[in-house]
Parts: sequence; structure tokens; C-alpha cells
Amino acid sequence: MPSILKEAAETAFTLAKGFSVTLRTLFRPTVTENYPDEPVRFEARYRGIHVLHRDENGLEKCVACFLCAAACPVQCIYIEAADNTAETRISASERYASVYNIDYSRCIFCGYCVEACPTDAITHGHGFELATYNIADMVYRKEDLLAQPLKPPRT
Amino acid sequence: MSETQNSVQLTVDGRAIDVPSGTLLIEACKSTGHEVPSFCYYPGLSLQAACRMCLVEIEKTPKLQTACTVVVQPGMIVRTETPQVAEARKNMLEFLLTNHPLDCPVCDKGGECELQDMVFRYGAAESRFVEEKEHQPEQQFSPIVYFDYPRCILCFRCVRVCDEAMDVKALGIGQRGVRTLIIPNRPDGTLECEECGMCIDICPVGALTSHQYRYKTRPWEMNYVGTPCAHCGDGCKTTLNVRNNQILRGNNRDMTGINGEFLCIKGRYAGDFTHHPERLRQPLLRRNGQLQPASWEEALGFVAQHLKEITKRSGPRTVGFLGSNRTTNEENYLLARFARTVVGTNNLDHHRTADFAALAGALHGEPVRYAASGDLSRASAILLVGNDPTHNHPLLAWNIRSAVRQHGAHLYIINSRRIKLRRQARQLVEIPSGKEAAAIEALHGAPTDISAATQQELATLRAALEKESDVIVLFGAEVFGSAVSRLVEFSRQLPGVTRYIALGDYANSRGAADMGLLPDRLPGYASLKDALTRKKWEQVWGAALPSEPGLHAKQMLGGNQLRALYVIGSNPVRTFGLPQTREALGELELLVVHELFLTETARLADVVLPAASAYEKDGTFTNTCGEVQRLKRALDPGAVRTDFEIIRLLSYAWGTPLPLRSSEAAFEEIRQHVRGYRVSQAQLVAGQAVRCAPTSGHAAADTPPGLVFSADDSLFTSGTLGRYSAALNSVSERDLPRSRL
Ligand code: SF4
Ligand code: SF4
Ligand code: SF4
Ligand code: SF4
Ligand code: SF4
Ligand code: FES
Repeated sequence: MPSILKEAAETAFTLAKGFSVTLRTLFRPTVTENYPDEPVRFEARYRGIHVLHRDENGLEKCVACFLCAAACPVQCIYIEAADNTAETRISASERYASVYNIDYSRCIFCGYCVEACPTDAITHGHGFELATYNIADMVYRKEDLLAQPLKPPRT
Repeated sequence: MSETQNSVQLTVDGRAIDVPSGTLLIEACKSTGHEVPSFCYYPGLSLQAACRMCLVEIEKTPKLQTACTVVVQPGMIVRTETPQVAEARKNMLEFLLTNHPLDCPVCDKGGECELQDMVFRYGAAESRFVEEKEHQPEQQFSPIVYFDYPRCILCFRCVRVCDEAMDVKALGIGQRGVRTLIIPNRPDGTLECEECGMCIDICPVGALTSHQYRYKTRPWEMNYVGTPCAHCGDGCKTTLNVRNNQILRGNNRDMTGINGEFLCIKGRYAGDFTHHPERLRQPLLRRNGQLQPASWEEALGFVAQHLKEITKRSGPRTVGFLGSNRTTNEENYLLARFARTVVGTNNLDHHRTADFAALAGALHGEPVRYAASGDLSRASAILLVGNDPTHNHPLLAWNIRSAVRQHGAHLYIINSRRIKLRRQARQLVEIPSGKEAAAIEALHGAPTDISAATQQELATLRAALEKESDVIVLFGAEVFGSAVSRLVEFSRQLPGVTRYIALGDYANSRGAADMGLLPDRLPGYASLKDALTRKKWEQVWGAALPSEPGLHAKQMLGGNQLRALYVIGSNPVRTFGLPQTREALGELELLVVHELFLTETARLADVVLPAASAYEKDGTFTNTCGEVQRLKRALDPGAVRTDFEIIRLLSYAWGTPLPLRSSEAAFEEIRQHVRGYRVSQAQLVAGQAVRCAPTSGHAAADTPPGLVFSADDSLFTSGTLGRYSAALNSVSERDLPRSRL
């Protein structure tokens, strides 16, 4: 007999213990992300798709020094440099990147490029939706990476 | 120099060394493997002692000394790596950086900058200099040269190389103190010079930069391919800096090759013709009077069919071949073999820019009498007849200047122009144009029609030459035929061993002649008339050879003796000054041209086959002095084909395939059978220039006038290629009279 009582008590205790977790969690803040129905939240230092920044005048910060490309362990950054001229000024320095590609089929999001950049032109953004059916789409061009101009150009 | 009584013993960093007396301490240290940092010191240039980077400790001398100006003394005890020395270097760097911008990320020199390397090694990253830095905007000195004042560390290497080594003196020093800067020679702040780019390359920092490389890429992003220059006949080795199948610049920083660090504007910047937009990329076939794109199969089939048909119908003697001064030895050899054995004609020639055949004939059996380009810079006496090496042979001119400057060599010139090298000459005899042969007769003491005064000058010249020994004789296209043998006859009586260089225009002029692109000569200048040699070549080639000498270039062009003309890599309409009509070339049924661009001749052709340039193929070149060098392919030729491939494919389409499958196989055959070309493969593969000396033992037949002439390119032109080089076309000096330089 005592064994039956003991078993019942133990069951009740175990249930209560188990449900106490459920009950506690019921009143805690929700952590589940409802992606894709709701936007994803990121930690500030999440390393996603890169962003090429602009300075306070709206000029590109990148001076095409190739240091990010040199630092990149998988060599996924491809740059072509060109001269700023009096008529067309793209960056604040003498040169700018006329072509800047990152191949995301190779990028391992290590952040070395960001560390190498002397002008803080490149950082990791929070973009992560890279899936595609065509591998050629994984190469992002400067236009894809560049931060929006500060103000829309006057018309 | 190396005899024991002339050597000095000293100790560097605890190691006893023996160096020739008179050696500079900095060089002595270098010989022990202790590189003493230096900015202003540069081997071969005068001493400056401006940068104080080379400070070293010398025992019993109270202060640190500049190793670049101290001459070694017996018993000297030198230390190059003490903490005191390191501290001094660090402090000197801090001085150099007071006005230096933090430009490395955008500076063209970043990655190959001597200042950057030094700061990295000795560290002076913290600056105590808080005052505002001197700044001036970047200046464009010329279409080639840019100057960025803040980056200049005032080592004056540029000024000295331009003054002493180039003898141009276009750069000077302006202002003083902290505002000191490099100034160009024109009053409006631009340069008028040879645009050689030596100053750009020698600058240890990024103060002088070139238009072509400026802000385009970075040193570690490029491929480096060392290959002979595609332009003049001197055969400088240029290291092409290639990115994305495009040549961005050439230089020779590792100083390998016969030219050391020297390159003229063509070797440095005129590789840009390779990606000119007008470059031919596919075969063109004339349909309904118009040149229209065609496939390779179609074009080659057309050529083979028509060429064969004409050969059958009107005989092989109505087919002619004009070879090139820019194609490789292997291609020339293959062409000679194709023309002579497959088509069966000796109508084979090229634009001869020097009479190499006459020299080979005059020197028969004496290969040691060919001087190499390097021999010039060590020569004690030089005789130059005709030509203007400053323009036509920039490397040889550089070598002549260094012989005069560094070894006190004596230069004698006989020329119809007051060429720039007169400044180095002991004596210049100015003769009327076209009187070179007469001047040589006058040297012999024979009566001539030159004025008595000039004859007197020539007699003085002769007397001076008779006191010299081991003279090197250079002669241009003005001296040809029997005049060459007369010149050799004269100079061979001079004391010592006289050696010779015939000055031909383009990258492989010498190779074209050596490989037998001549109507009366087989490869190696073997005479076609000699039954024994003919038999030898019949055995090598496995086919009968026509024994009658063929037509030469002038007879082929417009002589109405040909039905078909096959032109490879040359533009006879322009070089021979013909009217730009098809009729001017004679009653041709077929004109085939291999070219890079649609030249005047190509425009008249029935078929134009797009060919690869020297930077897009393998093979060998022989420079004008007879030094063989191997080409390294720097660019992917894409859809164009090498002349070698085209000739080979043509032989297939013809139905008599040539057995040589690759240019290596062709070169092996050349090595085996062309006399004087048995050069070391190992040295060639290692990138060295190997001397060859083709000797036929057959005396030269006299060369008719009008066949040997120089295109007389200037520093800024280079035949067809030069017309398509943006760099060469950009310089303003191109249009100046030559006497200005
Ligand atoms: S992103 Fe930064 S490191 Fe990369 S090229 Fe531009 S400036 Fe240089
Ligand atoms: S010259 Fe050298 S140290 Fe100066 S900015 Fe250029 S790379 Fe840097
Ligand atoms: S390019 Fe050559 S000739 Fe011109 S300034 Fe420089 S060193 Fe002198
Ligand atoms: S420009 Fe270059 S080579 Fe000339 S003085 Fe300045 S640092 Fe030296
Ligand atoms: S001297 Fe002649 S071979 Fe040398 S770089 Fe100039 S053109 Fe080329
Ligand atoms: S290298 Fe000796 S002072 Fe400049």
C-alpha cells in the first residue's frame, strides 16, 4: 500500500515540477523570432552582408587601398581603382573604387576586411538573406553594398 | 682591382672582410650581407649624403658616419646593428616623416615603398611633430610623370639619374629648407625630356608616379612577367605588371636582364598597344570588295586554296613572302621553311634595318668579334658610324654614356647629324648625309668625294683610333653591303680585338636575318648557291630546295613579278613609301597579311589574319647584338593566334603539314642546325640573354641600295605598334625636332 501512495505523491511532485517550468516561462518575455513574418533582431556586432559607408558629405569613404582584399583569407574581394577628377568626385581622397565586388559564395564573414580598412569604409551590416538559385547572384557589386546617399539628390 | 695589394681589410659586425680599395663602406657592408639602409645613395650615381639613413658606428670615430660617403680604410672596425645605430635611424625617419603625409593607403608606392619598409623596421610611428605639415597639391609634370610634393623625401635620386645617367637634366631642385622641391625644366612647370620614367622608378617613395599606373591597383594585386621588350632591337628585359590581362606598366626592379634597371618609355609604358580598341580580334576576308569578319577555318581555307592554286598555275616563283622584324626566331624559321619547302619559292625577304648578312659575311669564322650590349658599358673606345642610338637604341646609348661617365671610354662618331651622343664624344665628324661609305673609304686613306676639311677630320679620327685598343664599332643602316666589309677591314687593323654591333631597328630584326628571311640566304646566312649547305638543309627539312635566289623586297613590291604576296607582321606600303593602292603592289591576285592592326597594307589585303603580339606568345628574340632571350607569355591572346600557329595551320590546310608542333620544337631544330645558335637552353630558361654568333663562312654578296634602311623611329615612335600606344602618343616631345633633346 505505501508503495502506491508513494508513487502517487512522486507523480504529483514530478508533474508540478515540470509544469512549474512551463508556468514560469509563460510569464517570461518571448525570445522566439517569427521570421519571416516579423523582422529579425540582431546583436549589434552581428557580421552580415557588408556595407560600404559614406562620409558626412555623402562621398564614399572607400579609397580603394585594396587592404581589405589583401586581408581577406578567401580572396573574395575584387577592386578596381580609379582617379577622382575635378569633374567627378566619388571619394574624399585621390582615388576611389570604380569596381568593388564581394563574392558571397566565398566570404566566411570573418571580419578581417573590416579590421583592415584604414578609413572605416567597410563594416558588416545585418543583411543575411543571401540564398539564391543562381550562384552568379552571390557576387555583390558596389551598388549593392553602398550605403544610401544621405539626402536624395535634388532634382 | 681584386689583387691583394689593392685590397683593404676591415671588420664589419665582427666579421673580417677583404674588399678592393676605394670601395664605399656601404657597399662593403652589403657584401657581408648587412644591408645598410639608404635613400640617397644609389649605385652608379654621384654621392649626395642627404638622407643620413646610412649612419654606422666606426670605432675610434666619435660620431656616427654616413656609410655611403666613407671609403674603406685598412683596419676599420664597423658596427651596423648597434642600439645607437638603430636609434639614429629611427630618429632620421622621424625627421623624414615630419612633413610626410599619412598617404600609404592611397599612395601608389604603398607595398613597395622603401620609406614604408624602413618605418616598419625601425619604427617611428609616433610623431612628436605637432605643427602643420607643408602641403602643396600634386603636379602633373608631363603626360607620363606626376609629382606629389609632400611625399618627396629629397633624396635627389631623380635629379641625379636624369642628369648623370640619362644626360637629360630635366629635373632640378627648387626653393630651400623645408620647402625644397623638385622642379621640371619648362618655365610653365612641365617637363620636356625623354619621358623614360627612370626618375619614377628610382624614386624610393611615391613622390614621382606614372600616369599609367597611378591610382589603378596595388603591387601585390598584379602578376609579374619578365620578357624582352617588344619595341626596339636592344632587347631590354621588362617585367610586365599585369592585372586582368592588361599590362599596367613595365619595370625592371630586380635588375636582371642585360639592361639592369634601364628601360626607355617604350619598355616601361608602351605595352598598352596590346589592348588598343582597334586591335584586330578576328580574321577578315574580302567579300564583295569589303573586308568582313570570317571564321578562322574559312579564312585559312581560303588562303590555302588560293595560294596553292596560284602556285600550281603560275609557278612558285610568282609567290612572295615578306617576313617581320617583330616575330620570334621560331616563327621566322617556320616561315622560311614553309616558303622554301612547302611553296617552293625563295621569294622571301623582310624590311632589313641593318645589314646583318654583310657583317656575318665580313666576320666569317670569327664569332668573338660580335660585341654584346654589356661589353659597351665596359668598352675603352667606341666608334659609331651613322644611326642615332639615343632614339633608335636607347639601351645602347645608355651603355655608351655609362662607359664614358664611369670608365672614361673614348667615343668617336661619324654621322650626318649632330646626334645627342656628341656630348659624350671625343670627336664627332659631321659628314654629308649618305656619305658614310665614302667616309669609311676616307678612313682607309682612299680618295673620296668628301670635302677636304672633312677628310682632314677623318684623318685625325683615324690617328686617334690607332692609339686605342679593343674598339667596339657600331654602325647603322647607312653602312651596308661592301661598306660593311670595308669598315671591318679598316677597324680590324686597329690594336687589340675590335668587336662589332650592327644597329637594326626592331625587337627581332637580327632574328629575321639570322633565320634566313632573305632571298639568297638560308638560316645562319648559309649561301643558297652552295650545293653542300643546300643539301644539308634539304636533309633537315626533308624536301627539295629551289636553288635560284629569289626576289628581294623591292622586286617583290610592285615589280609585277608576283601573283600572290604573303606579308607577316610588317607594313611595306608605309615602310617602303608606296602609294596606298592595291595596284602599287603589283598585279596581285592574292594578298594575305598577318597583323595586329588594320595597317595601310592590311587594308589592301584579301585576307587579314589577327596575330598575337610579342607579349602574348612564347619563343625567342635575338637582339641587335646577337643576344638570344626567351619570351614569356604575359597576356592571354584570346581569339587571336600566334604567327607560328597560323603558319602551321596553313601548312595543314595546304596538305603538307610542317612537323614542328611547338615553338620549343622549332627552337631545338634551330639549335641543332643553325650555325652559331647552339646556345644553352638552361641559361635561356633561366631568363638570361645568351650570345649567339651565326657564322656561315660564306662571303657576303653585295647588297643593292634601297634594301637596307632604318625606319628611324624616335624615342616616341615604334613602327605600327607605336601608332597604337596611347602612352607614346600622349607625350608632347613626340612632335619636337630631335635636336631639342
Ligand atoms: S573598403 Fe577600406 S580597406 Fe577596402 S579598399 Fe576601401 S578603403 Fe581600402
Ligand atoms: S611614399 Fe611610402 S610612406 Fe609615403 S605615403 Fe607613400 S607608401 Fe606611404
Ligand atoms: S622621365 Fe627620364 S628624362 Fe624625363 S625627367 Fe624623368 S629621368 Fe629625366
Ligand atoms: S621625387 Fe623621389 S627621387 Fe626625387 S628627390 Fe623626391 S623622393 Fe627623391
Ligand atoms: S631601349 Fe629598346 S628594348 Fe629597351 S625598353 Fe627601350 S625600346 Fe625596349
Ligand atoms: S644613403 Fe648615406 S646619406 Fe643617404
